[in-house]
Amino acid sequence: MDYEQKENMQQPKILSLDDDFSLIKRFIDGDEQVFSELVKRHKEKVRNIIYITLSNTDAVDDIAQEVFITVYRHLKNFRFESQYTTWLYRITINKCKDYLRKKNIRSIFLPLKEEEPVFESVNEDTDIKEIVRNAVANLPDKLRIPLVLKDLEGFSYQEIADTMECEIGTVKSRIFRAREALKKILKPLEKELML
Amino acid sequence: MKKLNTDIELLSAYIDGELSPAEKKYIEEKIKSSLELQKELSDLKKLKELTTFSLDKVSESPFFETRLFANLNNQTSSKFNIKKWIPISSLTLVTLALMGILKFNPNLIDDIIKQQKSNLVGFYKENLKPLLYAADLSNEDIFNFAVYQELPLDSTNNQILRLGNDLKGSEFFEIKKASNVSEPNNLKKFVAALDFNEGEIKSIDSIISSYSEQISGLVLVNDKNSVAINPKIWNTRKLILADILAFAKKHASANFNKIVPPEGIQFDNQSVAKWVDKAKAVKDDQYIFCTPDSIFKENFVFDMSEFKKNMENMTKELAQLQNEKNVLREYHFKMDSSFVRKNKNSDWTKQFKVFVDTNLIKVSVQNLAVDLPELNLPNFDSIATVIHEATQNIPFVNPPSPPVTVGKKRNNYEFNVITPKKKAKIEVNLDSLMHMNNLQNEKIRSEQKNRIQDESDEGQSEVYYTDSLIIHQNKELKKEMDNLRKELRKFREDFKGQSPKNNDSIKKDSASDVEIMEI
Repeated sequence: MDYEQKENMQQPKILSLDDDFSLIKRFIDGDEQVFSELVKRHKEKVRNIIYITLSNTDAVDDIAQEVFITVYRHLKNFRFESQYTTWLYRITINKCKDYLRKKNIRSIFLPLKEEEPVFESVNEDTDIKEIVRNAVANLPDKLRIPLVLKDLEGFSYQEIADTMECEIGTVKSRIFRAREALKKILKPLEKELML
Repeated sequence: MKKLNTDIELLSAYIDGELSPAEKKYIEEKIKSSLELQKELSDLKKLKELTTFSLDKVSESPFFETRLFANLNNQTSSKFNIKKWIPISSLTLVTLALMGILKFNPNLIDDIIKQQKSNLVGFYKENLKPLLYAADLSNEDIFNFAVYQELPLDSTNNQILRLGNDLKGSEFFEIKKASNVSEPNNLKKFVAALDFNEGEIKSIDSIISSYSEQISGLVLVNDKNSVAINPKIWNTRKLILADILAFAKKHASANFNKIVPPEGIQFDNQSVAKWVDKAKAVKDDQYIFCTPDSIFKENFVFDMSEFKKNMENMTKELAQLQNEKNVLREYHFKMDSSFVRKNKNSDWTKQFKVFVDTNLIKVSVQNLAVDLPELNLPNFDSIATVIHEATQNIPFVNPPSPPVTVGKKRNNYEFNVITPKKKAKIEVNLDSLMHMNNLQNEKIRSEQKNRIQDESDEGQSEVYYTDSLIIHQNKELKKEMDNLRKELRKFREDFKGQSPKNNDSIKKDSASDVEIMEI
């Protein structure tokens, strides 16, 4: 892919932004029916972010429900200072972080399980996708979330910074560190993965 | 290395299309000139493709919106649910109320704590009595206290109160069982050693007894298991000792110096009097309270004179109570029957007297007219002992009581006295048993003696019974003793044969030994 062409493709977002704003204004004015339109537009993106952030399909819908309930409760206080999507994804990422925190706390009280080594050997049948997915899932949250938002959802560094409430330089550095860590994890399987 | 890392970080941003034009130009030139960066770039591209390819998108959820709106409806309906807010609101109200109270009365908690403390202290201070009052301290006890720091508390349990100083010099007291019984008559020995005359003995007795009351007021106890000790007790002990020693020094200085090293006593009666005054000046309203859950020092004033008054009153009351108790034990009851009413002239209105004691119920029938037929009965006193001897080893059997006839001739009536069945209990007289045993033993012994004699007569001395063995051993012992005597006699004769010089020296040596022993 030519990276110069990609830079020029970021323009159509303004249209959707206007659309979201007008819907939100109508919602604030009392037309609560428009909320279903907002859900319809962004639910898949929200669900995907949850999925790639948690690497887990079980809790996706529950967390997505919580995200939209929070949005519904606070939408009347929306100040139109940032894009609706940035606000929505920030809520989504925060909900994911909450979930992970609770999960970690719960795991303290669960009996220890023997961890199986993830990459002992690779058979011909072994799914490369599964290996990479596991490698990504093993990254720390701080590194994994910006990487998947970039590589899968195609977020810009700025959007990731807004969503995660951090500096753009931090995003740049975290994505680089995530890739270095992935390389290290996948190093033993270099030949099989043709890296 | 650091620069290479920065370049690789730029490469990572380059493949994401996130570099500024200047950065982009810089890295592109670098890539052209560096093979390493070219390899890194291709690796990064492969990795990015791999991650993008590996991470699937989540499958669609058809009923997502339906569920969401159902949830939203539930949430809105339960939004104003009062039940949900009850615990929070009540907690807030309580907190606010507490804050309000504490704002207007900031010392409330302190006051409560103080009150509880004083309640507790009051609880332990209640009904304190002098522990040593009951011990009835003798002069000997006080003398022992002064000298050996031990006071008897309870003579039956052999408990003592012991004062002392630990290694650091701080005082302690203990209530314990006397481990080693101190020798009796210490005071008498002391007095005898000093060779006091009667007047002096009287005055030292009066000195010692004057402290009795003071000491007993210094250790208090109550039924809450608390012991209160006045710190003055340590000084009081020293004072008594000083007083005794000062008196002794004054009246029997020659003998006194023999038993007490003179350098240890650097005082006379005057200085003791000063100390007594000083000690009296010290306030004795502070007691150390040892309770089951704490030890504390607290003000407490014990009024000995009031206590004594109370005790006297109590003793009086007790005596009175005892009298009343005796009176109460005599129950009076009237024979009130229709029969009595019919016979006005009869003596049935007279009363019984019953005396109840722990192991006796006595019914006095002297005022009751009982007609007994006059019979010639033998003197029971003379045969009582014979009966006693005869029945002492036989289980006692209660014969059924004969019917008792009561009343005058015309209106006789009978009633059976039924005694409650006793548990089978065989009474055995220990004396008679021992007597029996002794008789039996004597019999056996005499039999054995006769048998041994017979056997020795027949020349069968090899067969020994236990007793005969002892006799045999005795004979051997006699023989040995005789031999020893003979040897001793021989030794004496040999000894006499020695030179008179040696004899003298031995005598002298033995005499000096005796002298040393006497010293």
